[in-house]
Amino acid sequence: MAEVKVKKETNVSEAAEVESRIKELCQQFPQGITDQVIQNDMPHLEPQQRAMAINKLLSLGQLDLLRNSSGLLYRLKDTQSVSKMKGSDNQEKLVYQIIEDAGNKGIWSRDIRFKSNLPLTEINKILKNLESKKLIKAVKSVAASKKKVYMLYNLQPDRSVTGGAWYSDQDFESEFVEVLNQQCFKFLQSKAEAARDSKQSPMVQRNSSFATSHEVWKYICELGISKVDLSMDDIETILNTLIYDGKVEMTVIAAKEGTVGSVDGQMKLYRGVNAIIQPTGLVKTPCGLCPVFDDCHEGGEISPSSCIYMTEWLDF
Amino acid sequence: MTVQEVRLCGLLLQEHFGEVVEKVGTLMLKNGAQNLRTILHETGMSVDLVKKSLCVLVQHGACLFISGRKGPGSPTEYRASCDQILRILRYPRYIYTAKTLYGDTGELIIEELLQRGHMTMSSTVKKVADRLTQNMEEGRSMDYSEVSSAFSSLVETHFLQRCPQLGGAAMKEGTAPADAVTPAAPAAPASTAPPTAESFSDCYKVPQVTLIGRGKRQLASEDGEDQRNAKRPRMDSEVHGDEGIYWQVNFERFHLHFRDQAIITAVANKLDQTSSEIVRTMLRMSEVTTSPSATCTKPLSANEIFRSLPAGYNISRPILDQYLTLLVDDPMEFVGKAGESGGGMYVVNMHKALTNLARATLESVVQERFGSRSARIFRLLLRKRHLEQKQVEDFAMIPAKEAKDMLYTLLSQNLVQLQEVPKTPDYAPSRTFYLYTVNQLSTARMLLQNCYKTVANLMERRLFETKDSKRLLEKSQRIEAILASLQASGAEPEQLTEVEEMITAPEKQQLDALRLHINKLDSAENQVDETIFLLESYINSTATSAS
Repeated sequence: MAEVKVKKETNVSEAAEVESRIKELCQQFPQGITDQVIQNDMPHLEPQQRAMAINKLLSLGQLDLLRNSSGLLYRLKDTQSVSKMKGSDNQEKLVYQIIEDAGNKGIWSRDIRFKSNLPLTEINKILKNLESKKLIKAVKSVAASKKKVYMLYNLQPDRSVTGGAWYSDQDFESEFVEVLNQQCFKFLQSKAEAARDSKQSPMVQRNSSFATSHEVWKYICELGISKVDLSMDDIETILNTLIYDGKVEMTVIAAKEGTVGSVDGQMKLYRGVNAIIQPTGLVKTPCGLCPVFDDCHEGGEISPSSCIYMTEWLDF
Repeated sequence: MTVQEVRLCGLLLQEHFGEVVEKVGTLMLKNGAQNLRTILHETGMSVDLVKKSLCVLVQHGACLFISGRKGPGSPTEYRASCDQILRILRYPRYIYTAKTLYGDTGELIIEELLQRGHMTMSSTVKKVADRLTQNMEEGRSMDYSEVSSAFSSLVETHFLQRCPQLGGAAMKEGTAPADAVTPAAPAAPASTAPPTAESFSDCYKVPQVTLIGRGKRQLASEDGEDQRNAKRPRMDSEVHGDEGIYWQVNFERFHLHFRDQAIITAVANKLDQTSSEIVRTMLRMSEVTTSPSATCTKPLSANEIFRSLPAGYNISRPILDQYLTLLVDDPMEFVGKAGESGGGMYVVNMHKALTNLARATLESVVQERFGSRSARIFRLLLRKRHLEQKQVEDFAMIPAKEAKDMLYTLLSQNLVQLQEVPKTPDYAPSRTFYLYTVNQLSTARMLLQNCYKTVANLMERRLFETKDSKRLLEKSQRIEAILASLQASGAEPEQLTEVEEMITAPEKQQLDALRLHINKLDSAENQVDETIFLLESYINSTATSAS
C-alpha cells in the first residue's frame, strides 16, 4: 500500500518535471516541437506518461496543438493571452480564436456565429464578456455604419475598416478633404503663376508649372494642417479630386529608379489649369437654374410671365 | 422638330412678321409640307393673306416650295424650315460680327439683307448709302463706291452669297418626270442643301466682277444728289445690270466664323494669348482650303504657319515650334500633328474642339445648377465612363450620403444615365451591377431643347412686360413725338418743359425699370443663343464625323 503511494508520489513529481521540461523545450524552439523531439530529449519516458503530460498542458491551455505536413506540432501558447484567458471557458476561447484569426480586418458577429456554430445570444454574451476584459474591441466599419466588427484589443484597424486618413470615428471628414483640396490647388496654382510670370520660353514655362505628387505631399506636410500622417497615396487621391474638378491636369513621366517621388519608375506630375470657357449663357438666366423648369408652361400655374425667379432677377 | 422648337419659331415669327405669318408658319411647322389649299382650310384665313405670308416666308428663306411631289401636275407644296426660322434669334450676332469685321457699312449691309431676306446688290448699296448719309453731318454723303467695295469684300469672304435661281421652278416643270423625284428626295432631310449646291459654281465670284463695274458707274451720277427724291425714278428707269441676281446672307460662313472664334477664345483661356494667335492664324489659313463640315483642317506645315503669322507678332521660329508642341501636347487636343514633313504638319481638330467645348458647356451647366461637387461627380463619370455608386463616392471623396443624393438628382434630371448589368437573368437587385454613366451627345441634345425653351420663356416674359405697360409706352412715345414736332417748329422752352412734365416721376421710374428689364432679357436671349450655337455645332459635327 505504502509502496504504491510512494510510486504515485514519485509519479506526480515526475509528471511535473516532464511538463516543465516540455515547456522548456518549447521555449527553445518557438516555432514548435514534434513528438519526436520530446522522445529524443527524454528517452526513458514512457509514451503513456508523455501523452499524459502533454494532455495536461493542453487542457491547461499552456500548449497549442498544431498540425504540420510532417505530423503534429506542439507550441507554447502566448503566455499573455493565456493569462488573459484564465477563467474563460471553451466557448469563450473558441470565439477569441476566431476573432484572432480575423486579424486587423475584424470580423462581424454574424460571421462568428457561422464559424463557431454557437447561438447568437451566446455569442453576444461572450463578446460582451471579452470586451469587458479588454481582450477584444468593437470597431465600427465605415462601409456600413451599423455593422460592428470585432478584433483583438491591441490591433490597429485596417484601412478598409477605418477608411484611412479621411475618417474619424466612422465619419467622413469632408471638411478636411475640402481644405486639403483647396490647399493643393493653391500650391499648384501659385506654381503655375510663378511659371507664367517667369517670362521664359513657353516650354520651360509649362515644365516649371508642373509639380510632382511628392512635392505637393511635402508642402502639405510642412503646412501642418493635418493631424494624421498622410501618405503619398492620400495626397494623390486628393489631387485626383482636383482633376475631377477640372482645375488640374496630370501627366505621367518616366523617372529614374530611386528618384524622389517616383513609383515603379513613374512620376506623376500635376499642374493647375484654367477652364476653357466662362459659365455658359444658359446658366446666366434664371431658367438655366430653375428647379421647376419642366413644370413651366405659358398659361400654367408656373409660367414665364408670372415667374418670381424672373422678377427677382430682373429687379436685381 | 420638337415642341420647344415650334414654340420658339412661333414666337420669333410673331415678333418679326406679325401674327398672320406666325399662324401660317406654325401650321406648316406642325404639319409638314402642305399645299396652298390645305393651308387655307386649316388656318381659315383669306387666300390673299395666306399668299402674302407665304411670300414673306419664301422671301426670307424660311419656307421652301416643291412642285409635283405626288407626281406631275400635282399642286405645289410648301414646307417651313425650322433651322432657318431659328436663325432669326442670331440676327443680332450676325450684325454685330459684320460691324466688328467691316465697320458700320458692313453692319448696315448685313442688317438690310437680313431684314429683307434677299436683295440685289445695287439696291442694297443704294439703301445702305442712303442710311449712312442720313446719319452723317449736313453736307456730307456716303460714296456708293465705298459701300459697294464693302459689299464685294463681304462677298469675297463668303459672308454673302447669291441666292439660288428661283427660276428653277419653271425649269422643273419642263422636266417634270425626270426631276420629280430628285428634288423632293434631298429636300426632305436638309431643305437648304440642294439649292446651295446648285448655285455653288458661281455663288461668289462671277457676278461680283460685273457688279463692281456697275457700282463705279453709278457713283458719278449719284454724287451730291438728294437721295429720297432721286431714288424712286432711278429705280424704275435705270438698269444696273444685276437684275435677277439676288444676294443673301451666308449663315454657314458666319457660323464658321463663330465656331473659329469660340475655339480661339477657348485656347486663349486655356493656354495663353500667343497660342490663341497661332491657332487663329492656322484657322485663317485653312478657311478657304477646308470644307465647312470637315472634322480637321487641311494639314499646315510649321513653315507655312510661321510665314503667315501677323507681322506685329514677334515670335521666332524655335518659339513657334515650342508653342505648337505645347498645343499638340495639351489634353484638349485642339491641335493635332499630322506628319513630320515641312518642319511638322499640324491640323486643327474641329470635331475634338467642338466636343471639348460642348463638354465644358455641359459641365458648366451642372456646376452652376447643382454645385461644384455634383460637377465633380459629373466630370468623374465623363472621364471614367462607367462607375458604380461606391466607386463614385471613393473617387470623388464625397461622403456616401451626399454622393448618393447628388447622383440621384443628376439621374432624375437625365444628366446621368444608369446602366444595369445583371449577373443573373432575373435582374434581381442584389445580383445586379448598377453603373452610372454620362452620354454626352444625348445630354447635349437635351440641354439644347432646354435652351430653346429658355429663350422662348425669355421672349414670353419680354412680351408680357411690354404688354403690361403698354399704355405707358404709348404715352411716352406720343410725348416724344410732340416734343420733336415742337422743337422743329421752334417752340418756347417753357412749352417744352410743360410737355415733358406730362410724364410724372413715378411713371418715368417705371419706364426706366421697364427699359432695364427689356435690355436684360434681350442680352440674356443672346447669351443663351451662344450656348445654343455651341451645342448645335457639336451635334452637327458628330453627325458629319459619324457618316
